[in-house]
Amino acid sequence: MQKSARYTGRHGSALTPFKIEIALFPLLEEPEAVHQKRLEALEAYDILDTPQEPEFDDIVLVATALCKTPVALVSLVELGRQWFKARIGFEACETPIGQSVCAHALGRQDTLIIPDLTTDPRTRDNTLVTENPHIRFYAGAPLITPGGVVIGTLCVIDTEIRPAGLDDAQRKALEALARQVILLLEARRMSRRKDELFRRQKNIASTIRTSAIKTVAAQEAGRIGTYEIDIATGNVKVSAEACRIFGLPHADSYPAATIEAMIVAEDQGRQSNSESRRTGDAETDVEYRIGTPDRGIRWISRHATFERDADGKPLRMLGTVQDITAQKRSIARSAALLDLGDRLRDLEDIEAMALVASDLMAKALDASRAGFGIVDLPSESVMIQPEWCAPGVDSLVGLHHFRSYGSFIDDLKEGATVVVTDVLTDARTAKNAKALTDLGVRVLVNLPIFDHGKFSLVVFVHHSTPYAWSDEELSFVRSVGNRIQSALTRLQAETDQDLLNQEIGHRLKNTFAMVQAIASQTLRPVAERDHVLNFEKRLQALSRAHDTLLAQNWMGADVSALVTGSIETLGLADRFDISGPVFSFGPRSSLSLSLLVHELTTNALKYGALSNPTGRVAIDWSIEGQGDNATFRFRWSEQGGPPAQQPQTKGFGSRLINMGLSGTGDVVASYQHSGYRVEMTAIVFQLQHAK
Amino acid sequence: MAQSRPLGKRIVLIVEDEPLLRMMAVDLVEDAGFVAVEASNADEAVRILEMRSDIRIVFTDIDMPGSIDGMMLAAAVRDRWPPIEIIITSGHRRMTDLDLPARSVFFAKPYDTAKVTATLHQMASH
Repeated sequence: MQKSARYTGRHGSALTPFKIEIALFPLLEEPEAVHQKRLEALEAYDILDTPQEPEFDDIVLVATALCKTPVALVSLVELGRQWFKARIGFEACETPIGQSVCAHALGRQDTLIIPDLTTDPRTRDNTLVTENPHIRFYAGAPLITPGGVVIGTLCVIDTEIRPAGLDDAQRKALEALARQVILLLEARRMSRRKDELFRRQKNIASTIRTSAIKTVAAQEAGRIGTYEIDIATGNVKVSAEACRIFGLPHADSYPAATIEAMIVAEDQGRQSNSESRRTGDAETDVEYRIGTPDRGIRWISRHATFERDADGKPLRMLGTVQDITAQKRSIARSAALLDLGDRLRDLEDIEAMALVASDLMAKALDASRAGFGIVDLPSESVMIQPEWCAPGVDSLVGLHHFRSYGSFIDDLKEGATVVVTDVLTDARTAKNAKALTDLGVRVLVNLPIFDHGKFSLVVFVHHSTPYAWSDEELSFVRSVGNRIQSALTRLQAETDQDLLNQEIGHRLKNTFAMVQAIASQTLRPVAERDHVLNFEKRLQALSRAHDTLLAQNWMGADVSALVTGSIETLGLADRFDISGPVFSFGPRSSLSLSLLVHELTTNALKYGALSNPTGRVAIDWSIEGQGDNATFRFRWSEQGGPPAQQPQTKGFGSRLINMGLSGTGDVVASYQHSGYRVEMTAIVFQLQHAK
Repeated sequence: MAQSRPLGKRIVLIVEDEPLLRMMAVDLVEDAGFVAVEASNADEAVRILEMRSDIRIVFTDIDMPGSIDGMMLAAAVRDRWPPIEIIITSGHRRMTDLDLPARSVFFAKPYDTAKVTATLHQMASH
């Protein structure tokens, strides 16, 4: 309810729900103009309904201590309510104007002291007096603005009658504190105004900048120059616009050679020359880059037609030139970002990423030099790696100290991309500009790359001549930085996953060792040591299979690695003939295969081909069929041992073998005179995808 | 240099921080006919080696708490007590990643007790 009574505008004072209530109180006896001024003053301070602020809280605290009262308030009197900027000992943050004692202080310049509120005609019917919290004593020093307007009071309140009121010192102190409240309000208003001005200035500056860039870009895009070459003399008549496009001082004509020499080394040969003009063979539409003294490298699109004499012999070549740098770079940037995405995806180390990024930025920004360096933070130095340099530009490979070139390392450390559009004028490099220009650096872009939160690499792009940056180009540079950073984050996540896998693997191995220890303790009383030994061996087989899987990050393992892993610990590897194509099992099938080979080998050692010194075992596998029906076939055949015999009882080993590769059978065993043979088949899809 | 020692009293120092694994190693060593002396870390093992001269074989884990690990212990043994034979075991490390001291044998955990036993016998017969 109180909120709806708020003063809402300079002229909206009449219609409030409190109109009638107000009419009952002396407050309304103040002239309309006076309370209008108060409301305006409050509006100017923009203080009503703001959060608590410690400076004001301190003042009420001091006031209670000085006047020895339980309550002190900074009370601002609005139209229908009084609102407290600071309060101590009083719960509500505002009251209706009808309960306001302060309102009675508004008309005066001195402190209002009411020793007994129950007897004073102005307050004896106030509900704060007649009901809870039964206030009895009031002293309020007016808050007077520099313009002389009373906006409220700093007041102290007690629930005991105080016939003596305040002593002189207390009253003076209260008034001094009231002046402090006004000073605080004034200071607050000043600083808000400064903020506002600052904000506005910034807005204006950025608007001007944006529109200037747009205008320049529009002009450049629309610029078309004309030229006319007299083929016999090689003299070029140029329009004013053509001069501007080529960055040449205004003149009516130039020798063709002057303009031809401006074309960058890589694009030499694209332009016409005296020979191709003479024969009329010169390309009519070409694009090439020129080096201008003030604006760096520019892209030129040139169109030409020939004027010929009656015999068809070219007399003049004439046409238009246009600066197409903006379009060219825009295309190059899009291509670079696309390319960057593709290339970063496949890269696995931070330096390769930095190299790719610098390479792409060099192309997209027509740089004179681009590369990256490895940062050593403690010494604030960077070891620059072999970089890309435009023809005729020297390499900077080697150790450099950031501080030798300015203070921009401070920004890099914060993770900010540094773009110095001109080393001579940028505050970060101006003092060290010579060191930079000596290296052929006029424009400098530094992109910090953070590895595990540490500034560890810097990608740089240099221009040897001033370069007009567009907003699009700046955002391109930042975008490259973001891409590298996110690719790096992906890489780190993968590395962390690897570490985690290793850790899990190690724990698993430890667990196997513990299982072995527990079993050996538990099984000590068992008389048949063979069983205990068999258990131990199977546990080891399982552990080895985990080893193989771990080496492959649990992605599965190669059949050949699994088979050799299982048999070589027995020291009999030279008695096996192993052959089969490269084929990868899923993690679950890898474990099955390892255990199977372990059991087959153990049996061969006990009863089969490996039980004598000369028998051999052949293991081979093949893939049959294709697609979903492809089958994996695994063969184990022994020869040179004693004749094979079907075992009488079925132990764990033979049961395991009969379950086959995927636990579903498909096992054909034969006990032949030449030795034991077994063939197992399974669906490839199952082997590779069972987890 | 052969150490003089009473016949039939071949002593193996077992260094292992995990009590269960140490217990199993003690059983293994005793079943093989040796006398087992236990240490729960490499620092303790060094103190034991400094105090007695009858240890024939050190059988140590690698990753253990303390100022030195099993690999450093093995290197110290090879350096300060050259006649002592060394068996190293680990669940974390692979033999290919390790720089084993001379005359030492490595077993991955869980180890093949029969092979460890055979190695103990072979070492003691030198």
